[in-house]
Amino acid sequence: MNKKTRRIAINVGGGFVPGMNTVVAGAALAAGELGWELVGIRNGFDGLLHPDHYTEGGLVPLDRKLIESLEPAGGGILGQSARVDPFHVRQVNEDNLAEEVDMSDFLLERLKEEKIDALISVVGGRGLSILYKLHRKGLNTVCIPRSIENDIAATMVSFGFNSALSFTIEMLDRISQAVISARRIGVVEVLGEQSGWLALQAGIAAVADAILIPEIPCDLHTVAAKLKERISLSRPYGLVVVAEGAQLAEKPQGQAEKPGSGSLKDSLSPGATGDSGEHVIQRSGQAAKTVARQLQLMLPEETYPVVLGPLVRGGPPTAVDRQLGLAYGAGAVQAVKAGENGVMVAFAPPNIDFVPLTEAINKVRTVPADSELIQIAQSLGICLGREL
Amino acid sequence: MNNQTTKPSEKTGIVLNIQRYCSHDGPGIRTTVFLKGCSVRCKWCSNPESIRPKPELAYDVSKCTGAEECGLCLKSPFPEGAFYVVDGADDKIRVNWDLATECDEETASLCPTDALYMFGKELTVEEVLTEVEKDASFYRNTGGGMTLSGGECFLQPDFCAALLEGAHSSGINTAIETAGNVPWENVEKVLPHVDVMLHDLKLTIPERHKKWTGVDNKRILENFKKAYETFPDIRFIARTPLIPVVNDDEEHIRAVLEFIRPHKNVIDYELLPYHRFGTGKYEFLGIVYELSDFTTPSEESVQRLQAIIDEAFGRNKED
Repeated sequence: MNKKTRRIAINVGGGFVPGMNTVVAGAALAAGELGWELVGIRNGFDGLLHPDHYTEGGLVPLDRKLIESLEPAGGGILGQSARVDPFHVRQVNEDNLAEEVDMSDFLLERLKEEKIDALISVVGGRGLSILYKLHRKGLNTVCIPRSIENDIAATMVSFGFNSALSFTIEMLDRISQAVISARRIGVVEVLGEQSGWLALQAGIAAVADAILIPEIPCDLHTVAAKLKERISLSRPYGLVVVAEGAQLAEKPQGQAEKPGSGSLKDSLSPGATGDSGEHVIQRSGQAAKTVARQLQLMLPEETYPVVLGPLVRGGPPTAVDRQLGLAYGAGAVQAVKAGENGVMVAFAPPNIDFVPLTEAINKVRTVPADSELIQIAQSLGICLGREL
Repeated sequence: MNNQTTKPSEKTGIVLNIQRYCSHDGPGIRTTVFLKGCSVRCKWCSNPESIRPKPELAYDVSKCTGAEECGLCLKSPFPEGAFYVVDGADDKIRVNWDLATECDEETASLCPTDALYMFGKELTVEEVLTEVEKDASFYRNTGGGMTLSGGECFLQPDFCAALLEGAHSSGINTAIETAGNVPWENVEKVLPHVDVMLHDLKLTIPERHKKWTGVDNKRILENFKKAYETFPDIRFIARTPLIPVVNDDEEHIRAVLEFIRPHKNVIDYELLPYHRFGTGKYEFLGIVYELSDFTTPSEESVQRLQAIIDEAFGRNKED
């Protein structure tokens, strides 16, 4: 194929993270430099599967002029789809029956029709599996990892994490001022169902009294003891940061509760483990509520839960994410140029590498027990929920 | 599956479950046969395992003994990449639901603790009726019988008709639960063998019906009206799953009453207050539950709406 005429596409999976436009811009500018045409697919795969739903046909030509007019801090130009799975597309058929149909073959045909010979997808963990499945059916694909929780394996930093981290730290600072003023113990829940990077790094930055993460099942008596030690007449407040997937080492006596369990969080998570219904992927708030309630039984000071949850998905990207987004976008185009296929762009400082999708799927990037961050937290006197 | 030349007793259908001693699916004590496949997508669905038409993999993590002790599903013949463990957490198996779609019944059955299993199985009419007939004496003593539920049982009309006809032949009372969103031909084929039809009127405004169930209700209402008129001997019971903010308002209840009251064979209208009992099953299937923010309706709200129904049916509190 004449490189001047090469046409590639980019789309974005479900789940918003700040600064999505920077990834799109990085890919568009890099493609433009090669003389390639980059088109954006609207709303996941929807623009290709249902072009009739869009006045412009579901594809957006991403030329330099358009890219230069984009607000880096604005919402994603391509939109997103809650469901990006072409293997299970929900529709109402001619008989008015609701059904899920496999449109993966149709999707591959549509790409051919549009003369698109490679697809760059900005996706989270679930999206990587779907793209891998499409790759096995013949799709030429390069994925870009995006994750607020930084839980995607095979890359040091996923796109979106740094912005979420910065905003979480800012919120923890504000909450700290509030708990100082109110003389209370704030229990702040942050995102992180299976990995505790966000809680750990933000908690360290805010110098929390305790940080509870999924990787270290916690004993709330240990947390209460630390708070008792810290709280005094001259310091009548406390700050506990809890990841939404944090777990108790043992269930409280007479209760079947764990952080992350309860009526709302029960039984909803495809990623769940342990007893049925210990985690949730959608709803938040139960971990903070549970920890705050249990600590309240052990401490005289008033505790109260605060849930940051999905709030951190919004807002402008940080300087790091703006650079990372551009680098990931350009890196994906370089991967296509290098003939890479079925790979994910990975940040391995100082390099942007490509790793096979099989190295990224079915893995969760968790905080290792010997992580330097854990040692830093301990050396700062931050309680991690149990003696390590 | 339902070849026209097949003997009725040999017709097959995809059955989700046969539940004995049911008391809320029609009169008396009943055996309810749940069929797989549904033609609406209610966001409050408490039976998500009944939605897809074919048997599908399910996973009960509480039964998994972990990768170290077992780990069978991490190797062939289980599909590559379908199951995995996470470093640093416990060693329980996780399911990659996108890659596990190739795991069939034969493979799932290799799981020694039954943590992996299938929702749905192909059964013959004879196999189902053999199970149903075990409780024939209960049906006689309580006025009960067999109820077909789902999913949407009208989606398997030949199997349903043969099952219901077979039950009638054995003197068993028959009932059917339906949302009614099917071609009329399906309804027409099944109803000659039905004694009681419990049917949902979830929402009366088409746009709202489409928003919450995925489809509009035009054909549903047409089907029910036609059924009332074509089958005068069937006892119809209308029902509304009462979902806060969606349809727990007087306007909806009165609209349903206006629709059913002209038809004397609609003998009752029941409210089914929303519950969250089905949420655990979403986890078993790896599906996200979409209605997490809703609460169950208050007793006061249910009583207030029930009073409107009682008044319309000429019942007072002492009845």
